[in-house]
Amino acid sequence: MAHQAHAYHMVDPSPWPLTGAVAALLMTSGLAIWMHFHTTTLMSLGLVLLLLTMYQWWRDIIREGTFQGHHTPPVQKGLRYGMILFITSEVFFFLGFFWAFYHSSLAPTPELGGCWPPTGITTLNPFEVPLLNTAVLLASGVTVTWAHHSIMEGQRKQAIQSLTLTILLGFYFTALQAMEYYEAPFTIADGVYGSTFFVATGFHGLHVIIGSTFLAICLLRQAQYHFTSDHHFGFEAAAWYWHFVDVVWLFLYISIYWWGS
Amino acid sequence: VYQNVVAVQQMARRSICSSARRQVENKVPQKQKVFQEDNGMPVHLKGGSSDALLYRATMALTVLGVGFTLYELVKASFPQKKD
Repeated sequence: MAHQAHAYHMVDPSPWPLTGAVAALLMTSGLAIWMHFHTTTLMSLGLVLLLLTMYQWWRDIIREGTFQGHHTPPVQKGLRYGMILFITSEVFFFLGFFWAFYHSSLAPTPELGGCWPPTGITTLNPFEVPLLNTAVLLASGVTVTWAHHSIMEGQRKQAIQSLTLTILLGFYFTALQAMEYYEAPFTIADGVYGSTFFVATGFHGLHVIIGSTFLAICLLRQAQYHFTSDHHFGFEAAAWYWHFVDVVWLFLYISIYWWGS
Repeated sequence: VYQNVVAVQQMARRSICSSARRQVENKVPQKQKVFQEDNGMPVHLKGGSSDALLYRATMALTVLGVGFTLYELVKASFPQKKD
């Protein structure tokens, strides 16, 4: 395919941006329809369309990079910028929820009893499951770095083992958090404490699930010989995302679980 | 008894070894050949008939979805009076 005189990637026309946009339309309208008429059909259809779009779009990117060789160094540089900018936007997303937490907790209103935690709220002990969760995510940061070095050194089996361990630690965190959510003595409806706690930790948990999924895709690709010792950007992007998720948890732990208890 | 124990150990080791040897084959060169074939197909259809099937299913859901959304939104815009 030596038809171009430059190192950049002019992509083939693709239907996935359109199907993705329609999925967004269906999910948002579906959400409104669900809230007013209690039917989830439209929203579910949107969700299915979103999953189909994501699967096919990212499948095509793997084809373009790994099988067609379009991810030259300048193209890879662009992908790196893209991932950095995306993670930065996610940082700002979480910043908002931390702002909300500090707004309510630094100057607690008389309605809360003028104190933080508010009167009547039994907080979780930060040195029990939350501390274990911290250890689990920090350990997973180590194992993902181990996986990266294994890939760079061409150690196939070690890379598979350490990546698998990382994903298992991610699942362990999710399971522990799910249990904590179930056993918690307060709910999302318990005033601003409940709101800030569950919205911030809830979005974090969603990002853990997304990150674990991304890493699992990388595991499948590593097993199928997609990564070479000096070209494995998909894995690096997943590892960056995973470190971001870890750092968000550390801020959550220090602010909400520890200082806020 | 000792010989039996040794025999069982050897058997256990052998079966673990043979399952570890069942490794994933490197199919990347084959894939590279398929996706670099100069047949004018766009990348989202270049993998064959299963690509086309999945594409058609996705597009059908897209068109149906837009229609269904417009229907639901128009319906929601005219509240039904309850007797």
